[in-house]
Amino acid sequence: MNGRLFATSVVVLLLVSTGVGALSSTASSKKPVTIKLAHLYDEVSNPITYAWIQEMIKGFEKEHPDIKVKQEIFRYDRIDSRAMMDLRTGTRHDVMFSTPQLMPKHRLVGDYISLKPYIDKWSEEERADFSWSPVWNKSYPLGIPTGMHTRMVAYNRDMFKEVGLDPDRPPQNLTELVDYAKKLTRDTDGDGKIDVWGLGMYFGSERATVELYFAPLLWNYGGQLWDPETKKAAFASEAGVKGVQFLYDLVYKYRVTPEWAASGTYGDLERRFLDGKYAMAMGWGSYWIRDLEDKGLISGCFPPTAECKAPKAGVFLYPTKNNEIFVNTWSLSIHKLSKHPDESFEFIEYVLEPDNLLTFPDAGLPARASLWKRPEYNTDFYKTWHEAAKHGRPMPSTARYPELGDTVAAAIQEILAQKAPIQATLQRYQEEYNAEEYNAAYGR
Amino acid sequence: MHKHKLLPYLLLLPTIAVLAIFLIAPIVSAFIMSFQDIPFGEVIGFVGIKNYRVLVGQERFYKNVLYTLEYLGGNIAIALPLAYLAAILVSSKFRGTVIFRTIYLLPWIMAPVVTAVMFKSMLDPACGPIPVLLEKLTGNSYSFFTNPTLSMLTIIVHSAWRSFPILMLFIAAGIATIPKELYEAAAIDGAGPWKKFTNITFPLTLPQVFIALVLITAWTIPDCEGPFALTGGGPGRSTEVLALRLFKDAFINYNLASAATTGVILIIIGIAIVVAYLHILRGGGK
Repeated sequence: MNGRLFATSVVVLLLVSTGVGALSSTASSKKPVTIKLAHLYDEVSNPITYAWIQEMIKGFEKEHPDIKVKQEIFRYDRIDSRAMMDLRTGTRHDVMFSTPQLMPKHRLVGDYISLKPYIDKWSEEERADFSWSPVWNKSYPLGIPTGMHTRMVAYNRDMFKEVGLDPDRPPQNLTELVDYAKKLTRDTDGDGKIDVWGLGMYFGSERATVELYFAPLLWNYGGQLWDPETKKAAFASEAGVKGVQFLYDLVYKYRVTPEWAASGTYGDLERRFLDGKYAMAMGWGSYWIRDLEDKGLISGCFPPTAECKAPKAGVFLYPTKNNEIFVNTWSLSIHKLSKHPDESFEFIEYVLEPDNLLTFPDAGLPARASLWKRPEYNTDFYKTWHEAAKHGRPMPSTARYPELGDTVAAAIQEILAQKAPIQATLQRYQEEYNAEEYNAAYGR
Repeated sequence: MHKHKLLPYLLLLPTIAVLAIFLIAPIVSAFIMSFQDIPFGEVIGFVGIKNYRVLVGQERFYKNVLYTLEYLGGNIAIALPLAYLAAILVSSKFRGTVIFRTIYLLPWIMAPVVTAVMFKSMLDPACGPIPVLLEKLTGNSYSFFTNPTLSMLTIIVHSAWRSFPILMLFIAAGIATIPKELYEAAAIDGAGPWKKFTNITFPLTLPQVFIALVLITAWTIPDCEGPFALTGGGPGRSTEVLALRLFKDAFINYNLASAATTGVILIIIGIAIVVAYLHILRGGGK
């Protein structure tokens, strides 16, 4: 009897537990899915963009109550390598901010999924809204650009007037750039030392040295950093020597750029221009438009309005042959280990909505062509930026780009800081890069 | 009886396990990785000593080693005497030594990146107080980060300034253990402060100096934070120490095999230097 009772109890318990399990599994299917968003904006160092991210999450979660977004914050120069390393360690991410110039490396590592199946569902019009930009091909299909980081030469209009230059007619070519810089380089207090440098630049040990200065000059003289056919570095060419010679002359021959431009950080360029130590600043990023506004050099331009005016500071295109400049962006990608790629793409699509992208403080410039048609982007100030963006050119499509950038930056810094011979130094660094078996084997 | 013999080993087991997981396993892993081809984090296979052959075949590698030794030598030359002087000061009976002890510890408790930013501000070529002062004194302008010698000097001074407080504590602890009777006896024999230092203090604190020497070596050889934050290895590559090269390879260029190989070489260099210290110390003992 006891045995029968025991057996019956077991059966009942099993049935109950199965029922509870089934119920709980039904309930769990209704549980919100949590996706992780890896970005680079913390509350302390970038409160404005951090606030924008919070707005995006809040808005998305309101529209999609079944999807929750959890944040992960990484340093801007760590986020890409984090994605790659975490693929190997099995650490899951979902939506990630990514860098277009590192996409060839991501492609080889395989840490991002292709977004093609999702984008194929877009209308032709929607696709064309993005695909016009020079950063699209560098990102797609592993990422979608959120904006466009473009560079120009910023100049102080008041200083132009003070030395008798027409602020409405900025330099048109490199010769004029040097002439203007000579006039603008001044000892304002008569102590024998230069107080205002005509042309601010940055030649430190960061890739900005290559991307913002050397590469545009190299392109100007018809050269290239890396040869896609031989898969080898090609910067020590005649064009490369001419490019570095131009930079060298700015420092030592014309003395319009300080020797210490070969040290510090790229951020020093911005600080010194805003402080009035540089009359012109080459390599001024579209992500610094806000700082011009904060300093009162422009008004109504950030956030962009139809009343945007630039009374005290202007910008002009690089006065090189084809006005070519380096453009990049922050793209949005989905990590290979994501368990919720569909929900992740829903979040990406939410962020890419025109009104959301428009308010992204770190976008630089709009990645959507349709946004450029809005009145706030049809001011003279933004038309100039738009023109520059159209002349955008990416960095070489090699997975070994970080090493290439590091090598070229070190070569240029050595030449400019130590007055090393240009041709021999470029050649030595190029040989070092090309001799590296790893670069040769995986430089595709 | 048998139980008593086992107990100490059982008590040591957790420590051994922790050391095995957090110290030995990464070293073994790095050692294995240094013999592998790992493009973009994916292990393709064993390549024997190829990674070592590639690394030692580079002129850049020898410069990295040379700069590492310069960095270490300079750091020891500045930090150790400074730590000894500070230890004597904080061990003395002067008033206010507690304040000095606290002030001296400040560099140690601050994050290296924070102190590096402080150094950078002080050495800013346009408005930093040190270049401005030097220019007023000598009439020449100084740009610390565009001059290879001054750049190396900067990373050395920064590291020495950060290292000396903890070395000071070790040496001060050694000074505190010296019996007062020895100084009293020496005073009766007519020994002055210098004689007391050379015949009592210094010989009796040699073990602590040795520990300090080993510690500073162990910290300096793998240090990349200071050089990275201050110079980024520049100008050119004139301050690219091996640890910085490793950091760039691993975390910027994602060349894990090269980074692991450099790591193993760093360990070998560290061991070789400590063995040399031991040899010198034993020789000194004879």
